[in-house]
Amino acid sequence: MKNEYLDFWENLKHRGIQSTIMLTFSVISILLMLALGIVLDVRFSAVSKKEVIKSAQKLMEQTGESLEDYLIAMRQISDAAYYNAIKEYDFSSQSQDIQKSLNLLYEANKDQLQSIALYNQYGSLIVAEPVALQKEDPDVTRQDWFKKATEELENMHFSTPHIQNLFDDAAFRYHWVISLSSMVELTNGGDSRLGVLLVDMDFSSISRLMKKINDTDSDQYYYLCDSSGEIIYHPRQVQLGDGIGRENNRTVAAYKDGVYDEVFGGERRKAIVKTISYTGWKLVGVFPNSMFRRGMINVRYFIILLLLLMVMMLVVINRIVSVRISRPILKLNASVLDYEAGARPEIYIGGSQEIRHLGYSIQKSYEKIDDLMRRIVKEQNERRKSELDALQSQINPHFLYNTLDSITWMIEGEKNDEAAYMITQLARFFRISLSKGHTVISVRDELLHAQSYMNIQKIRYKDSFDVKFEIDPAVNSYCAVKLVLQPLLENAINYGVSGIDDGEITVLGNVRGGDVILTVRDNGIGIPEGDVALLLTDNNRVHRHGSGVGLVNVNRRIQLLFGGEYGLRIESEPDEGTSVSVCIPAVPFTEENRKLLEGGSALDRDKIMSMRNRENRDEEK
Amino acid sequence: MKKSKRMFILIESALAVMVALVVAVMIKERNGREPERIAAVLQDSDDGQWSAFKYGLKEAAEDQKVDVFIVGKEGPLSVEEERLLLEREIENGADALIVQPVIGAGSEEMLQKIGKKVPVMLVEYPVSESSETSLLPVTSADHEAMGRDLGAAFLEDCGGNLEGKTIGFVSETADSEAVRSRKKGFLDAVNGYGGIPAWSISASEESGVRPGEQEAVDFVIALDDSSLVEAGKEVLSNDLHGALVYGIGNSTEAVYYLDLGKVECLVVPDEFYTGYQSLTEVAKRLGSRFYKMKNQTVSHTVLRRKELFSKENQRLIFTMSQ
Repeated sequence: MKNEYLDFWENLKHRGIQSTIMLTFSVISILLMLALGIVLDVRFSAVSKKEVIKSAQKLMEQTGESLEDYLIAMRQISDAAYYNAIKEYDFSSQSQDIQKSLNLLYEANKDQLQSIALYNQYGSLIVAEPVALQKEDPDVTRQDWFKKATEELENMHFSTPHIQNLFDDAAFRYHWVISLSSMVELTNGGDSRLGVLLVDMDFSSISRLMKKINDTDSDQYYYLCDSSGEIIYHPRQVQLGDGIGRENNRTVAAYKDGVYDEVFGGERRKAIVKTISYTGWKLVGVFPNSMFRRGMINVRYFIILLLLLMVMMLVVINRIVSVRISRPILKLNASVLDYEAGARPEIYIGGSQEIRHLGYSIQKSYEKIDDLMRRIVKEQNERRKSELDALQSQINPHFLYNTLDSITWMIEGEKNDEAAYMITQLARFFRISLSKGHTVISVRDELLHAQSYMNIQKIRYKDSFDVKFEIDPAVNSYCAVKLVLQPLLENAINYGVSGIDDGEITVLGNVRGGDVILTVRDNGIGIPEGDVALLLTDNNRVHRHGSGVGLVNVNRRIQLLFGGEYGLRIESEPDEGTSVSVCIPAVPFTEENRKLLEGGSALDRDKIMSMRNRENRDEEK
Repeated sequence: MKKSKRMFILIESALAVMVALVVAVMIKERNGREPERIAAVLQDSDDGQWSAFKYGLKEAAEDQKVDVFIVGKEGPLSVEEERLLLEREIENGADALIVQPVIGAGSEEMLQKIGKKVPVMLVEYPVSESSETSLLPVTSADHEAMGRDLGAAFLEDCGGNLEGKTIGFVSETADSEAVRSRKKGFLDAVNGYGGIPAWSISASEESGVRPGEQEAVDFVIALDDSSLVEAGKEVLSNDLHGALVYGIGNSTEAVYYLDLGKVECLVVPDEFYTGYQSLTEVAKRLGSRFYKMKNQTVSHTVLRRKELFSKENQRLIFTMSQ
């Protein structure tokens, strides 16, 4: 697993230029998009939150004003009841007028009112509108509104919502009211007395107003509490009473008007507080943070969509840019690779100015390198040829000297025919030796050359040994290095059969495994085992007889022409004889092949060898 | 295809898939989630005794963000009528049902069959012998405890001495498990104090049977809202031969008779909480397929005329007045 990771990183390190540009641009683009997304989200969230808070504040301002208007209207009703009815008349003589005035007032405002009632300071009902049957002993003195009115005489008191427990309602209804109570002075029989004026407002008016602003699908809500935190209206009022829900009303009651961050019930939220004049009631708007998140969800999806589309577009642009930048470099690289694979040095020149310049430079460098290479090869070939020529030229002087010596000797002995035959053989020998200066000749010519040589030697050695040529005719048409058999035959005579009575030299020629094998075998004294190994390596051996051209030279000439895998193979058995084989590739002797082989280029030689191998395979098939 | 080109197509395809997903989510978000529909099937659903219950359902529906529909007809339902009503509601798309079961043969089997189609929550009382043996969940008050508390209040008023006092029991139906439990609770509470159960009747406007027509007793114990209201009316019209009325009820009418002093003591189950809790439980079940609805027991309050308008009791009356 670790190795896989390492491989992965290694691959990443060695990726192409296009991938690098694309990857870098894409990563930068994505990071930029992410940063942009976060900034947009934060900014939109902040703006949206601000907007929600602002519009909520506006709504609360309006609602607060409506509530204040409503409460002012109630106060005005209370004042009107007091100044226009209660204070205006004497109860002892003008109770009908008082009732009438209160009735008018009630009828004019009955949408908002539940009742108007006046009690004396002991809690007895004096007058009420609408006229209704009072419950049996409601004991108003124990009710909060009455207690507050008698405790603080100069103020008007708004109660929290409660069930009106004053009058009998045969329709079994229990009215939810807010009581506005105040201590008043009334006149009865000319005496001034104290009383409590009660205006019961229908809670449904406030409830409707609050329900209206709470009618939203979101999690925000508004509630109303008094200055001590007592709930007046809450959308989950009953749940709060039942303990199903909870509210931070007691804490909020201490807040001044403004926006507050609070944590309640494990939830972060914003609370906006607006105080209602005259009563000290607080209108509270609650905005859970989760609501802002939910409200932003569509904007977030939109931002994500926008970013994804931008990333898509940027990836396309990155692709185009990376392709445009990298294409000339890739083409340049491809042309260099082609050149390295052996194609002609046609380096791509295109793209931007810098890459064109690079192309030109590489092209010139390659041309120079090619030129230098060609020169070096040429020099090497020439050096090799001269070396080859030098090796070949070592053969002739000794042999010519000995042969001419023999011819002289024949002429002196008046063996003119033999001398003439010998001269003929010598002439053929030299014709082939010269071969118009060619190094590569056909196997046929090489064998003819060997025959001429052996014919001459037989005469010189007075037929003291036999010579046999066992040649497969197929070998004749292949290429051979000139003058490779003659030194072998010379050795066979000098080290093999000279000095023995029934000496025999056999020249064998055949094609084996795609190679031409020319063997010179003698039945001489053989070579000690230790010497066989030294024959092809020890160049400094002292040649006891012959031309002095050793097997080393022949072997080297073959290898110079055909490569290291070819050359001489020597087998020898003491007292049995020696067999030396020339192993050369079976390259058909044509003018073209000859030129290529003599050209001496390693490439040319490889070309011929590959052609020959292909032909061999075809034949095998 | 070149490796970089393949990678490019792969990245673009992945981004295109993500774009498609976001667009799908946006469309879904814009269309909004259709709220679940819950139908509540009640007998005599327009009766005042259901006010607090219906208010509880409505408040819970707002809290749980589901739609609730109240279904029923005037007067009691038969088992067959209830089955037809329930099936019609399911056809109309109700995802769950809140049912006040009809007491009668085959009712339990019918409700179980319905319960296999959609979640069903029973309210007020189980259809079987008891809540424990009911195969369907029940949200109700502890009827036996209510009867016991009524008996305790009754005993307290009588100073713990019921020697020679006769008691009449009145209920709308005698065969409901709720009435039986309430009566049992009451009798358990007064047992051994010398009270004499004189009669026990099923009284309703339909049957024409009235407690005032029975032999005179010292006390009339009304075991449900409608019989309490009937008894209250008879006290108001002096038709109950001076018997003092104790009972269990949950309507403003019942409260009114207590307020007037025509009923001595009233035990009120928290019907708001019954409605609220039954719907909350059903909504939880709709929210999670693996949620198993449980029996819910709601509290009750013993009301006396003296403390009728205490802060706590005002909240109770407020829910009944909705």
